[in-house]
Amino acid sequence: MIRIRAFRIFLTLPLLFACSKSPDPDHMRLYEEIRQVNHMEFASLAVTKTVKNERTDWYKIGKRIAVYSYDTHLKAYIDMNLLAPDDLEFDEYHKTVSVTLPPVQIEIAGRDMEMKKEYENIGMFRTEISSQERAKMKEKANDELKKELAGNPEYKQRLEQSARQKARSYFENLFRNAGYTPVVRFSDEPLPSGDFNLKNYD
Amino acid sequence: MIKIIKIILSIAVIVILALAGWQAYRYFQRPEEIEVLPSRPGDVKEMVRLCSMEIYNEVPVLDTVNAKVIFAVQKQNGSISFDVENLKVDETSDTIMIQLPREIVDVYESTEKDSWQVIDTKAIGPMAILRSDKLTLEEENRVKAKLKSKAIKRLYANGSVRKARKDAVENLTRLMEAFYRRPVIVTDPTPAGNPPVRRTM
Repeated sequence: MIRIRAFRIFLTLPLLFACSKSPDPDHMRLYEEIRQVNHMEFASLAVTKTVKNERTDWYKIGKRIAVYSYDTHLKAYIDMNLLAPDDLEFDEYHKTVSVTLPPVQIEIAGRDMEMKKEYENIGMFRTEISSQERAKMKEKANDELKKELAGNPEYKQRLEQSARQKARSYFENLFRNAGYTPVVRFSDEPLPSGDFNLKNYD
Repeated sequence: MIKIIKIILSIAVIVILALAGWQAYRYFQRPEEIEVLPSRPGDVKEMVRLCSMEIYNEVPVLDTVNAKVIFAVQKQNGSISFDVENLKVDETSDTIMIQLPREIVDVYESTEKDSWQVIDTKAIGPMAILRSDKLTLEEENRVKAKLKSKAIKRLYANGSVRKARKDAVENLTRLMEAFYRRPVIVTDPTPAGNPPVRRTM
């Protein structure tokens, strides 16, 4: 009886080792290489901001209205440096891998340098809009955009959703090509609404 | 008679004070000159890009356009990245061959506070005193377009693009070798990058 039990344990040993998280040199190398990729971008979104400057006084003759717009670019990326060794779990026996990716982070990549003229009506007796005024308009629009982004999670949710989808399919393909059946998830899934990893939003 | 004059004077003073009060009220109630309209988001673009280098610059800007000089300071940020989703991969032999794609160089104005600070503008040349020293939006955009083009050229000239490509080759080789468990060679047909060529008509 004892012999049979020992034999059964002996038979299950390879299975135990196959499922274990013992650092297989190939797996450790793969983990290190993915980690060293650092930033990978998976989605971007351009947000158009429109700003109006209108100065009218009863004692001034003629209108002075200028409406300009410009795009600000948001990007969604994953910092692969945050990947931990436990985030890749291989099962060599079943040829499956469970991948837990670091959270998608949203960042403002920057804004367009040029502004588009949407409308301008400067009366003959009124002064032209100066470069300093335009810089002030852009600055104010920038502040408003940051407030909007912090208060309205819609843009971030859209961006994050697309980035997750793209990252998931990209890594699933890579692991499938490597001979594994992958399950890719994110470390912060499911995400409570309104709670995001924000950078450059202050 | 004196009483009537006093009454008229009092009424005049009251009217003047009321007018002054109304003007003061109008002044302080003046609507904001700058009004920002709600944002309009575009479509989300999906991609898989390997970001090889982050760029941050703060540059003084001194330029002349249509006999007007502008001096400003601009903060820029951007990145050099590679589209790794559409890599050309040749798996026909034992060694996998991958060609490094064109670099994507993005340079933007930063969104940090005061990223575009105009210090001064002035008109130059004959009769400068009689001309406006204010740049139109088109003139300012021309200055900024030159600025962006210069920033990108500088990244090619100072070897940033070359370094980003070299790093990308090394990163991709190691990553793909780890995935495929086969030798991988990432070839770079243009180690110095692909600087934008100015189109001539």
